[in-house]
Amino acid sequence: MSTPYLAANESAEPARSWLADAGRGLSAILPPLALLIATLVLWEIAIRLFKVPTFVLPAPSAIVASLIESRAALLVAAKATAIEVLFGFVLAGVVGVAVALVIVRFERFGRALYPLVVLFQTVPKVALAPIFILWFGYDLAPKILLIVVIAFFPVAIDMLAGLQSVEPSFVALMRSVGASKTEILRRVRIPHSLPHLMAGLKVAITFSVIGAIVGEFAGASAGLGYVIQFASTQLDTPLVFAALVVVSVLGLVFYYLVELAERLLVPWAPKFDLMHRS
Amino acid sequence: MTTAIASAYPASVAASAPVTDTAPIHIAAHGIAVEFSLNGRRQRVLHDINLSVPKGSFVSLIGPSGCGKSTLLKVMAGLVQPVEGTVTVAGLAPQEAARRRMIGLVFQDATLLPWKNAVENAAFLLMTGNTNVKRADAMARAAEMLRLVGLEGANDKMPSQLSGGMRQRVAIARALALDPEVLLMDEPFGALDAITREEMSQCLLDIWERTGKTIVLVTHSIDESVFLSREVHVMGTGPARIIETLPITLPHPRTEESFADPAFTRAEARLRSLLIESHRTRGTGK
Ligand SMILES: Nc1ncnc2c1ncn2[C@@H]1O[C@H](COP(=O)(O)OP(=O)(O)OP(=O)(O)O)[C@@H](O)[C@H]1O
Ligand SMILES: [Mg+2]
Repeated sequence: MSTPYLAANESAEPARSWLADAGRGLSAILPPLALLIATLVLWEIAIRLFKVPTFVLPAPSAIVASLIESRAALLVAAKATAIEVLFGFVLAGVVGVAVALVIVRFERFGRALYPLVVLFQTVPKVALAPIFILWFGYDLAPKILLIVVIAFFPVAIDMLAGLQSVEPSFVALMRSVGASKTEILRRVRIPHSLPHLMAGLKVAITFSVIGAIVGEFAGASAGLGYVIQFASTQLDTPLVFAALVVVSVLGLVFYYLVELAERLLVPWAPKFDLMHRS
Repeated sequence: MTTAIASAYPASVAASAPVTDTAPIHIAAHGIAVEFSLNGRRQRVLHDINLSVPKGSFVSLIGPSGCGKSTLLKVMAGLVQPVEGTVTVAGLAPQEAARRRMIGLVFQDATLLPWKNAVENAAFLLMTGNTNVKRADAMARAAEMLRLVGLEGANDKMPSQLSGGMRQRVAIARALALDPEVLLMDEPFGALDAITREEMSQCLLDIWERTGKTIVLVTHSIDESVFLSREVHVMGTGPARIIETLPITLPHPRTEESFADPAFTRAEARLRSLLIESHRTRGTGK
């Protein structure tokens, strides 16, 4: 039941060898990389040309220097933030999946719950950060909670869409041979929803990083958000940007970890791949 | 459950595929009416439909789009409850017959599970509901059915690796795996190209001749209905009813040459004029 997926998926595109794949990956990465480098060079030139003070906008070279200089502190901060993101993201995933399953399995209760979930989504979560700090202090808990309330929604909504988008004729087919709702949920709806779930998780992981930073802004003694806030009060703008770079890298790594998981777990999922669109 | 196809369908059935006119009635519908509520208004989709299908027969339903063919098929499958009238399949209420795996269903879309390979898909319904069928037995049976529909060697293929025609064959194999007495098919070849359609028609005819199942086929193709059926029920709208039941006298076994048979041409012409007529009445409304 489990082994054929990978084998089948590989043979689906026999023309794409590993080498060709790498070549295509490279040709996909090159244009954005070139654009990025060009932007950085222009930025550097402009700063030097117009003599912009570093505390207003540092040159890329100053940011790199700050990155190197503060690498130890940034690494510690990144670790703190990564732990918040990880716990928050996993919990948001669990909550999102649970909400979707409850709404689908217990239709009546679901009809009551769904509008409330949507209503809750319209509350600006950032505004909750100080309250969570008030309730739970300056530790991990308020950040994780903030991430959960920010990131569970895309998971719940996408999973719900996946659970509900099973073809009605297939459900009819199963019902006709006496399948119960639970059996249809377990054997058809849940596996069918996995690609949707993964799409929701990809959104959720980026929200999780945002949630962690916002949580740290509201009150923290560690993490990249704390570094950003502390550095800006010191007018150490290069460090602010250096921390931002680390945040971006962290977000990128997390995102591609989720995408890797998607490829391994649901190889039948349709690929939303802008780079390789033919 | 037997897995050996040879024992399940003895050669004697194959030799004498066409049923005699004295065959018992397998599907009986009397005075069927179906209503759907649309924006709060009740809309009558089927009105006083009478239909009887002899055991082992192959009948087609043909008619203008929206006349209620699919709905009638769903009534026979127990998926839609009529507000008036009775339907029985092998003397049972359709839902009971379906629960006993006496009804196999095939729709226009193959509706295969993309995370399961061909043989797992074909075995899926066999392992659904309250069954004591063992997984190994179900898979063996599904593999037999894939061979029957001409898909040997494709057991491990994923749906995304199959063509539309192959997917539809898997869907047919999935229905046949239940060893149903009745096969209900709703435009099963509707999404296929002309040549694949003809191949699939031939395949279906072979299956019918070898298994002797009762088959009801909904189709939009006049050729297909004549080539395959012993009887074609032409449906009309306003209100939906069966306007004529045309026996097809085309001799068996039917092959490529059947298309040139005068009986084929006659039936085709008759169906064409009936359909044109029913389209016209649809235009003028009720
Ligand atoms: N679940 C439903 N709810 C409301 N109306 C429905 C429903 N199913 C079918 N209808 C209506 O019933 C009528 C008959 O539909 P049906 O699908 O049986 O037609 P059909 O003959 O199969 O058409 P086609 O050839 O296009 O498949 C249509 O007018 C359709 O709009
Ligand atoms: Mg239809």
